[in-house]
Amino acid sequence: MQRIVVPGEKISDGQLRLENTITENNATYSTVVAIYDEEKKTLLPLEGLWYPRYGDTVVGVIEEDKLNTYVVNLNAPYKGLLLTKFTEIEITTGDVVEATVKELDKTQTAMLMRPRKLSGGKLLSVKPSKVPRIIGSGNTMLKELTEGTGCSIMVGNNGIIWLKGKNVDLATKAILKIEEEAHTSGLTERIKEMLKS
Amino acid sequence: MQIRTVTDDFIKDLLMKGTREDGRGMGAYRPINIATGTIPNAEGSATVDMGHTKVLCGVKIGVGEPMPDKPKDGNIITSAELLPLASPHYDIGPPTPEAIEFARVVDRGIRAAKVIPTEKMFIEEEKVWEVYIDLYVLNYDGNLFDAGTMSAVAAIMSARMPKYEGEKVIREGSLGKFETGNVISSCTYAKIGNSIVLDPDGNEEASMDARITIANDENYVRAMQKGAGGSFTFKETEELIEKTFEKSKELRGILKKAVGE
Amino acid sequence: MSGGENQELIINGKRLDGRMPDELRPIKIEANVLHNADGSAYIEWGNNKIIAGVYGPKEALPKHISDPERAIIKCRYQMAPFSSLEEHGRSGPNRRSIEISKVTKEVFENVVMLDHFPGSEIDIFVEVLQGDGGTRTAGITAAAVALATSGIPMRDLPFAVSAGKVGDTIILDLNKIEDNSSDADMPVAVSPRTNTVLLLQMDGELTRQDINTAFSMVQKAGTYISKLQREAIKAPYEKIKDKYNK
Repeated sequence: MQRIVVPGEKISDGQLRLENTITENNATYSTVVAIYDEEKKTLLPLEGLWYPRYGDTVVGVIEEDKLNTYVVNLNAPYKGLLLTKFTEIEITTGDVVEATVKELDKTQTAMLMRPRKLSGGKLLSVKPSKVPRIIGSGNTMLKELTEGTGCSIMVGNNGIIWLKGKNVDLATKAILKIEEEAHTSGLTERIKEMLKS
Repeated sequence: MQIRTVTDDFIKDLLMKGTREDGRGMGAYRPINIATGTIPNAEGSATVDMGHTKVLCGVKIGVGEPMPDKPKDGNIITSAELLPLASPHYDIGPPTPEAIEFARVVDRGIRAAKVIPTEKMFIEEEKVWEVYIDLYVLNYDGNLFDAGTMSAVAAIMSARMPKYEGEKVIREGSLGKFETGNVISSCTYAKIGNSIVLDPDGNEEASMDARITIANDENYVRAMQKGAGGSFTFKETEELIEKTFEKSKELRGILKKAVGE
Repeated sequence: MSGGENQELIINGKRLDGRMPDELRPIKIEANVLHNADGSAYIEWGNNKIIAGVYGPKEALPKHISDPERAIIKCRYQMAPFSSLEEHGRSGPNRRSIEISKVTKEVFENVVMLDHFPGSEIDIFVEVLQGDGGTRTAGITAAAVALATSGIPMRDLPFAVSAGKVGDTIILDLNKIEDNSSDADMPVAVSPRTNTVLLLQMDGELTRQDINTAFSMVQKAGTYISKLQREAIKAPYEKIKDKYNK
């Protein structure tokens, strides 16, 4: 059985080791709005923020060009930093880049690596908690989106999506639909249908 | 700083292809929805949704002293608040130049068109009715001027008129309607590159070179305001005035319908 | 609050608006009402109409106010100049709204998991569009929903309600008329999971027994208010789910 839980709501008696929960007095409570699956004992956040992790793909905008680093706005409480010495491409303030999280420092700054410049196009901001659904397991959903619209799409784990191509409008609508309906079943079929028409 | 959702050239690229982000035409408004009487405590109120832009106007009517130069006329006091919950770019603090311009542009149209007949608002020596118009921006996505004017006019048109009896303002009980003098609306255009669009949204305003607002009633232009760094030619301005007279019929229709006239 | 000149607020055991002493006014909560805010909620509580919006966590500015260990909360409570049935009210901060902003902020410092976001700030805005007594408690109740919908992790979903006293009777959820001429007013915010008090203010006169009665009323009402909050947060999801389950 799956049910929607809110912050402070008990999900289980006994202590479960799950992300986005707290345990107290031998019971486990959710700290976010999420779907709890009783059988699988999983908690899938419906609303949630992004915590940078090693290997995450991010999309951001170069905000500052300091002496030896670029500061990247990731639309998150964390800044991204790119060391110029590891940046072989030519970038300036205002450019959109895709990069990978290399490590985190204590001040909640994400050190980035392997930047790639994304020219032109549009940025779309979605809830980071919905990113896994937008990509789909084994990239299935993202494949539907790119093939169905002919757009180039780059999805950042930080919730920023870069889109470029003729059907940006359709791709945007489809992504917003996935964001809104992420917790429902049969979504891939509905998106396929939408992109066909 | 929240990230801008479009890159600088995106809007311009779209316009060059003759389209806009949401696919609407150059001279089209986003969906407009007006709800009146949303704040029953205020004598008049209206919430206008223009796409994602949401403006609430509350009208309070009270008694005060007339202005020294117009001892027989009522007062109109218009203010605007760009609430920090309306946009990541709005902050707490005293009114910004942006908020003051917004309030003054709405105010000028309403005054010039005599939407509020101030000459009929005299009570006795040193006492006149005063109308407070407060514009509350709840969500910003461009074109505050048109949404603001519309919410103010709808709030005034649907307002109730208090009574003044025995040195007291009576705001409850059986009250008549506030008597309005005229209906006005405004059309705001943004010039982006070589294109001119009606009802710019937030992304379009962020990319615009120039902006112009034209407020009119059936017969006259009542107020205008050009904004931002760019410019319009005289010819463009005249054409936009023509367009505004055409478009405003639609807007006045929406307004009258919303207040049940 | 004036005490003293006690107009008849309770007649034949019922209050002026027909409520029993321990009865709440009708409450309606809607989540996610603003497009730009990271989280938002609208509450109608009796004649109160309040909108709450949350932004963040984001980089704390100016830098010197940031805390390297945890997020800071900024809160602003404000009443619209057209919110009352009386005279037009001047806008801008006054001593009352500054105090309410502070105590509201302190409620959420208790439950928001601030240590997850060092160096950042979370902004909570409470705008009272129409006020009729109990705006701070309704505002806190709405802000809790707004925070939950923003995805900011919280240990609990607090609610708030006030209790007071008229003559010898303890009453729940005072409206403006009651607030103006009651003998005591006591707004309370509670973390229901731990049943702890996050906000407590009071003025007037109450005996120990009165406070005890008032506290039970608040806790009992909280079960219902919490349920409304949870339903409001879940409603947008349930709605979409229902659409496809049919």
